Amino acid sequence: MPDLARATLAAAAAAVARGETSSVELTRACLERAHRLNAELNCFIRIEDDAALREAARADEARAAGARLGALHGVPLAAKDMFDDPERETSSGSRIRQGFRATTKATVLARLAAAGAVNLGALNMTEFALGPTGHNAFHGACRNPWNRAHIAGGSSSGAGAAVAARIAFGAVGSDTGGSIRLPAAVNGVLGLKPTYGRVSRAGAMPLSWSTDHVGPLARTAQDLARLLTIIAGHDAADPSSSRRPVPDYEAALAGGVGGLRVGIALNYFFDGIDAEVRRVLEAALRVLEELGAQLTEIEVPAAEHLTELGRAILYSEAAAVHGEWLRTRPEDYSPQVRTRAMTGIAIPAAVYLESLRLRPRILRRFVTSVYADCEVLATPTLAFPVPTLADTDVGAGVAMWAAIARLVHCTAPFNYLGVPALSVPVGFTAGGLPASLQLVGRPFAEATLLRVAAAYQSATDWHQRSPPIS
Amino acid sequence: MNDQQPESSLAPEVVMALARLAGYPPLDADTAARIAVGASNAVRAVAASATVSLIDTEPAAFLAELERLAESD
Repeated sequence: MPDLARATLAAAAAAVARGETSSVELTRACLERAHRLNAELNCFIRIEDDAALREAARADEARAAGARLGALHGVPLAAKDMFDDPERETSSGSRIRQGFRATTKATVLARLAAAGAVNLGALNMTEFALGPTGHNAFHGACRNPWNRAHIAGGSSSGAGAAVAARIAFGAVGSDTGGSIRLPAAVNGVLGLKPTYGRVSRAGAMPLSWSTDHVGPLARTAQDLARLLTIIAGHDAADPSSSRRPVPDYEAALAGGVGGLRVGIALNYFFDGIDAEVRRVLEAALRVLEELGAQLTEIEVPAAEHLTELGRAILYSEAAAVHGEWLRTRPEDYSPQVRTRAMTGIAIPAAVYLESLRLRPRILRRFVTSVYADCEVLATPTLAFPVPTLADTDVGAGVAMWAAIARLVHCTAPFNYLGVPALSVPVGFTAGGLPASLQLVGRPFAEATLLRVAAAYQSATDWHQRSPPIS
Repeated sequence: MNDQQPESSLAPEVVMALARLAGYPPLDADTAARIAVGASNAVRAVAASATVSLIDTEPAAFLAELERLAESD
């Protein structure tokens, strides 16, 4: 059996395919690790031993019969607790949805299952995916495996922590303002918010249908590419999904970054960046330069308004999604989530619609301006060292907006723009917590972002380091 | 962004009135003040960005625009 502390998703899949281990054996090892580490990390809301072992046994039976289910045959993964599944409860990290069981399966889960994946269980998340820290008033905060006093990020907190802690070989989460990329960054794994429309949201809990994105987290570019290839593509159940063909992202990883122009954002994204984080990111950019990339400085148009333009949409749609419960069960929300979900009631409908109508124009200006001079834009994912749970436990207090704005400063603009953004771990700050670079591409340029990450990982070993947890 | 209320911010009392009108349970003054700050920030950003006529644009154009601007295969 592969060493769980080191094996990648691709290596685990290969080991199962070659018969070096069985899916049941691999799944048992992951479940044992999940139970043991969950007491410290609280990264799972439910660990689904029986269901996972049933799926693993089916994978082994199929292999014994000579069948290959797909590129994830027998590999244990996990999903944020917000994807519909008739075989499992889905609470959306909330009190209100506890015990909810859907009648159909979320497309992303169905595609992973069809590729042979085993689902270990429901990962912890911020209540209703509304918050960047990983605090959860009902299920408890998820903790960072590199240092349990620090945040695991949000809202896909458990996804970041479980993948970093070598419990799951990969995970799927959602991102409406940074909710895949922030947990990936603070836990030291990769996280991809794909282009809007690239991955189906059918069966995923909606927060803001215009800015929600579903995407994968994993420890290597190859693993992430494999997951994206499987979950991407048009879905009749999600009219907002694109009909654009899906490339084989894993096959597109080779080629390196020779001659690729990497734009470094001159304005907004590096404003007020912590000196230590800046040093780590500059070292990462030098690695890309040594690999043949050309670094260039880029002005990002209207960057200072993008997050709030997105929020005019996010809060309006969240208020609509949650309206009935906010009227009838307000006490079942935590104060911060209730306050944020209600913010939309004070945004005029005309302003919401204006932000939506502005979006194609602002996207066009961004793409034609930024990508005239580079293929990939580089920014921090988080511009300061990973904060503690205590420092970010602001509830609905007076510091709430400022604390949230600081955390999503570099990520939220790209939810409004809908372009793909990938967080790549590139080192550690003095406190021993990860720091990450965010790579942003033009629409549907996921293959380019993954190729840059693969080149970077081929020259560095940050992704091979494990958190001090066993 | 901060919690200071510029002159052009929504008043918390307006938020409380909107909540009542929309059938929500009464909001306390602190929550209303927080909502006023968040909503005001968003409204100001949209106002600052709306510098052209949008008569020939529609929200449904967004996915099509993403596809149009995609890198060539």
